[in-house]
Amino acid sequence: MTAIQLTGVEKIYKGKVHALRGVDLEVHPGEVFGLLGPNGAGKSTLVKILMTVIRPTRVAGTVLGKPVGDRHTLSRIGYLPEHHRFPPYLKGRQVLEFFAAMSGVSKKDRKKRSEELLEVVGMSDWGKKKVGGYSKGMRQRIGIAQALMNDPELVLLDEPTDGVDPVGRREIRGILARMKDEGRAVFLNSHLLSELEMVCDRVAIMVTGRVLRQGTIQELTEGKRGYAIAGLHPLGDEDVSAARDALAGLELRTEPGQITVLTDDPARVQPAIDALRSRGVVLSSVRPMRPTLEDLFMETVSSDESHGKPGAARGKAATR
Amino acid sequence: MILTQTKALFIDAYRELNARKLFWITMGLNLIVVVVFAGLGIDEEGTSFFVWSFDSPIVNSSRISPELFYKSQFVQWGIPVWLSWVACILALVSTAGMFPDLVSGGVIETMLSRPISRARLFLTKYIVGLLFVALQVLVFSAGCFLIILIRGGSFSPEVFLAVPIVVLFFSYLFSFCALIGLITRSTIAALLLTMLFWCLIFLTNVGDGLLVMEREGRIVRVEDARENLDNQRVFAERRLEQLVSNGTPPRNTEGTEITDPELRLQAANPALKRSGDRLAKAELSAENWSKWAHRMFILKTVLPKTSETTALLDRYLITEDDINDLMREAAGIEDGVDIQAEPSGPAMEDPRAQARAEDAFESRSLAWVVGTSLAFEAVMLGLCLLIFRRRDF
Repeated sequence: MTAIQLTGVEKIYKGKVHALRGVDLEVHPGEVFGLLGPNGAGKSTLVKILMTVIRPTRVAGTVLGKPVGDRHTLSRIGYLPEHHRFPPYLKGRQVLEFFAAMSGVSKKDRKKRSEELLEVVGMSDWGKKKVGGYSKGMRQRIGIAQALMNDPELVLLDEPTDGVDPVGRREIRGILARMKDEGRAVFLNSHLLSELEMVCDRVAIMVTGRVLRQGTIQELTEGKRGYAIAGLHPLGDEDVSAARDALAGLELRTEPGQITVLTDDPARVQPAIDALRSRGVVLSSVRPMRPTLEDLFMETVSSDESHGKPGAARGKAATR
Repeated sequence: MILTQTKALFIDAYRELNARKLFWITMGLNLIVVVVFAGLGIDEEGTSFFVWSFDSPIVNSSRISPELFYKSQFVQWGIPVWLSWVACILALVSTAGMFPDLVSGGVIETMLSRPISRARLFLTKYIVGLLFVALQVLVFSAGCFLIILIRGGSFSPEVFLAVPIVVLFFSYLFSFCALIGLITRSTIAALLLTMLFWCLIFLTNVGDGLLVMEREGRIVRVEDARENLDNQRVFAERRLEQLVSNGTPPRNTEGTEITDPELRLQAANPALKRSGDRLAKAELSAENWSKWAHRMFILKTVLPKTSETTALLDRYLITEDDINDLMREAAGIEDGVDIQAEPSGPAMEDPRAQARAEDAFESRSLAWVVGTSLAFEAVMLGLCLLIFRRRDF
């Protein structure tokens, strides 16, 4: 059973704003899935549709095996909204217990889990203090804890590291890893690409209401990985030509001081190294290169914009 | 799960009200009013307020029983002034933000993402708001019940009828407040527009009262004019008989005898025509006032009946005999003597008109007062649910 399986999700707001234009997604149990996209891409709209906060114009698919919008399924999902505001008059522990009660968790379990989760998010000392006095990072920690109070099978976190300092981010990454180890599916919505890259098993890039790319980072960087060969001194044109001839058709990118051979196979790089060395080039390094998530993201966004019509239909071929 | 969620919402609402301090401020004010009520006293010499005494030949325990004194204070001041105005305004101030806060960004997502239907979430919150008022009225009523019991010597559990009646009254306004809160998402707008709406209801009540009294006054004038016309006719007939028997029957300006019977009577008694004209004028006027009173009645039927709802308590707490006793004692009139007043001034000031208007108001049934008000509330809540269930947040 997939945690989330969506096909053709559409949302057109009353003002005729086409927020989602046929989103297809799959999230599996025990994986951390990252959804990234520029502002206004429709990420939060999609999450809100999953949480029944927004009604979709069209939706097909399931969440934890039940149709999207099934209210009972919500008791098995944890959710941290972006820009959430917990009642300032509640203490940290009361926030956890209130939202757990709203998810139908028994009183006994509420007590037990609130103790545990305050510990997990590093807020044990703050549980008896009012949320109104918390810093942004502390509110995020409490938010993550409340999302876990009902022991969910699926956790949706919208910008969980927003406002959290680097130490806190690392702790949150630890919590996410723990969720994954516990077999929960984690759906992350974030602008922080480096954060996503560190924790996500799979990602989807959403632009103007459509998922343009989806898969593991390995899959998404397929054909874009390579090896950078750097010389101690700048490589001359003849050095580059010799390397290119030795590579027998492999794509090669030249940059000042280095060349990059686009291949996953290190054995196929050796002829270029041999050719350069035979020409007396002193090599300073040979490093495996992989585009970052940010590179992928920027490439996807710019390729969409280069078509000159934001949100224009790109077809399913663009996904995966 | 339903019970757990409902309980959580109730506890949260209490915490919210507690945090706003208004709950305790209102509760404190309620207790102050109860203490003031307890400070009132009545004895054979007159009345007292804590240590101050006021001798009165009219308001003393030999004329008004302590039971009736305390009950009438509760009905005259406790319900219409305190609970229906001051406490209600405080309750509105306390609860007006309930729905705008609920639908504000960052809050509504955390609530709607729970396994609770939107309708149940809204209605539970709504009931929580009403419970706030119920609790306040309960405390106030309990205090008043004890005072009437201890100082008035009367066991009057009907005082607690104030709880459902005031909650019912408040619910009309609260439903409107909730609708505005949902539409505008603004506490200030919800509060101000509800106050304005309340003013509209108040003005409608005043208009209705004035129009019904004036209508009844005009009807009384029609009846007077008709009676006067009948008298004039009798006089005219007698006069005509006299003229005919004297051999001087009525003649027109040309000197020939008038043959038309009505004209003969008018010639015999010129006041007959004036009386007829007066009747026609009075009938036309009564018809016009009836039309306007009817239009106001239709408007009033659509709107919630706030004052009539609180006045329901009078029907149960103080009997008609009590009121008659009170009026008789206050006016110093002994049993068996009718109260009569001279008919003079504007139509609505005629005591007969006022009495009839009173009858007209009392003839408005409980079903009309509560039924149409609840229908209004149902429409408001229906709109609230429609908006709350369909809106994207």
